[in-house]
Amino acid sequence: MNTLADFIFVSSILFAVGIYGLIVKRNALRLLFAVEIMINAANINFVAFEQYLWNNAVGQAFVLFSIALAAGEAAVILAIIVVAYRINKDVDVSELSSLGG
Amino acid sequence: MMDLLTLTVLLLSGISLTLPLLQLTKFKIVSAYILASVLALSLFLIVIYGLNPVQNQLSPSLLASDTLGSFFAAIAIGVTLFVTLASIDYIRTPNTAIYYSLLGFTALGMLLLSFSKDLLMLFVSWELMSFPTYVLAGIDKKRRSNEAAVKYGIIGAMSSAIILYAISIAYGIAGSTQISDVVRALSARHDIIVAVSILLFVAGFGFKMSIVPFHMWIPDAYEGAPATVSTLFAAATKKSGFVAAIRVLLAMTTVYAVTNNTFFTVSNILAVLALLTMTLGNVAALTQRSITRLLAYSSIAQAGYILVGFVPFAVSPLSYDAQIGLTGSLFHILNHAVMKGSAFLVAAAVLLKLRRADLDSYNGLAKRMPIASFTLAISLFALAGIPPLNGFWSKLYIFLSVASGPYLWLAIAGVLNSAFSLGYYAWIVKRMYLDEPEKPDRVDEPLSFVIIFAVLTALIIGIGIFPQVFINFITGAVNSFI
Repeated sequence: MNTLADFIFVSSILFAVGIYGLIVKRNALRLLFAVEIMINAANINFVAFEQYLWNNAVGQAFVLFSIALAAGEAAVILAIIVVAYRINKDVDVSELSSLGG
Repeated sequence: MMDLLTLTVLLLSGISLTLPLLQLTKFKIVSAYILASVLALSLFLIVIYGLNPVQNQLSPSLLASDTLGSFFAAIAIGVTLFVTLASIDYIRTPNTAIYYSLLGFTALGMLLLSFSKDLLMLFVSWELMSFPTYVLAGIDKKRRSNEAAVKYGIIGAMSSAIILYAISIAYGIAGSTQISDVVRALSARHDIIVAVSILLFVAGFGFKMSIVPFHMWIPDAYEGAPATVSTLFAAATKKSGFVAAIRVLLAMTTVYAVTNNTFFTVSNILAVLALLTMTLGNVAALTQRSITRLLAYSSIAQAGYILVGFVPFAVSPLSYDAQIGLTGSLFHILNHAVMKGSAFLVAAAVLLKLRRADLDSYNGLAKRMPIASFTLAISLFALAGIPPLNGFWSKLYIFLSVASGPYLWLAIAGVLNSAFSLGYYAWIVKRMYLDEPEKPDRVDEPLSFVIIFAVLTALIIGIGIFPQVFINFITGAVNSFI
């Protein structure tokens, strides 16, 4: 039988994977995936806490909002990455250094 | 009868949603004038609302009805108004109506964020504020602008993911997303999980506030984005990070110390972050070659000063020092919006006319663009904190609030930093007024910019001469929060 601790464990692993991806990867698409993994880790937290502790629907409502916002965020950033690809023919962020930072 | 807050929200969202329709017509530039007049009306309404807040009918459980919210909303809308006016001459894009619609959405997001008292509302309006700014940073579709947008977009998405995770932990502890419930539940516990949640909140908000370990995207984003959009970042969206931090973090620090350890207390952590932020910002600003990067680092340093005012609040929230410190911080947030807004808009005017942003192009600028030079000189002196300009009074409040307690070293560091920063501010003024220009011809300054410069200079000097008017309003805001 699954317990609350299992879900929290999975979600913290996913969050750590997201942070690892953001630090190590240099492809803009992979960075976006890493952020999406972090958002989904938080979503698992919300649903698990709601199911095991509170049963007040706040968690699930929050997850619906956060899924919609994550979709919007992915759309906006993908659009920016498409423009970056048209300009540089590449989506590697370590190549983006014309600003010297 | 609708209350003024509801009216402002409906007005701004309605206009922002309908402005893109103008993209289909020949009169795209009309959208700028429509947005400017709506923002001016909203600013007026929100100030009136702040003077006499009544229960809002929009959603009393999600939106607070207090002076603190209307103070930040007034700053956000005011800065967006100046950015809109400056963009009329500055922004050259085929998607004119879309640009102004996005500016409207950013203002709406900042307005809702200032008032939110539920973590759900806070997160949704945080995203409503962030999405349009990612697009605005990349509106040029040129290499530099796009690079700024990619970096800002990914860092911004990361910071919202971190905030979301922090909220999920807070919900797990409290069982509610009302900020007051969360604070009460967190105060009952003293374990590591609460510390993790608070640290994640600090990191998430820190990216927008440009606190030092989270500041690395700031110079790139400010330099690459169009200068008017950088104005919006430095003067408005950054302040939204502070209002979120005040609403969530300061409320938490009032009841909770991260551990029982006497060294790792919230006030110590805030003090060290403030010291690092102002010192690194000022030192890095000294070596910059471009005005926008210099202003970006100076903006990081100013975030450090604002953070200093939070420290006595974290020590003991009901003390007199805490009230002075928070008043000083809010006052400095207002002043920084005005000073940095005018400095960035001068950079925008110079970029527009001379097509250059390096510091050498400011040599002898006083002979070529006298009005812009005078505005930049005034705002730089105000940033350095020279009396009787507005930056002096807010810094005085901030440093006085920590001068009498155990954090005297922070006040000394702050004063030293202020003196140090005068070094590079005065250096630019010296370039403008004493050096010889490369070309001595007079450059004509666009009328819209001249009007903006006049208003902003008048504000800087006016707030400096009559600080009491603003301090009274801010004291009301602080009291509505405590």
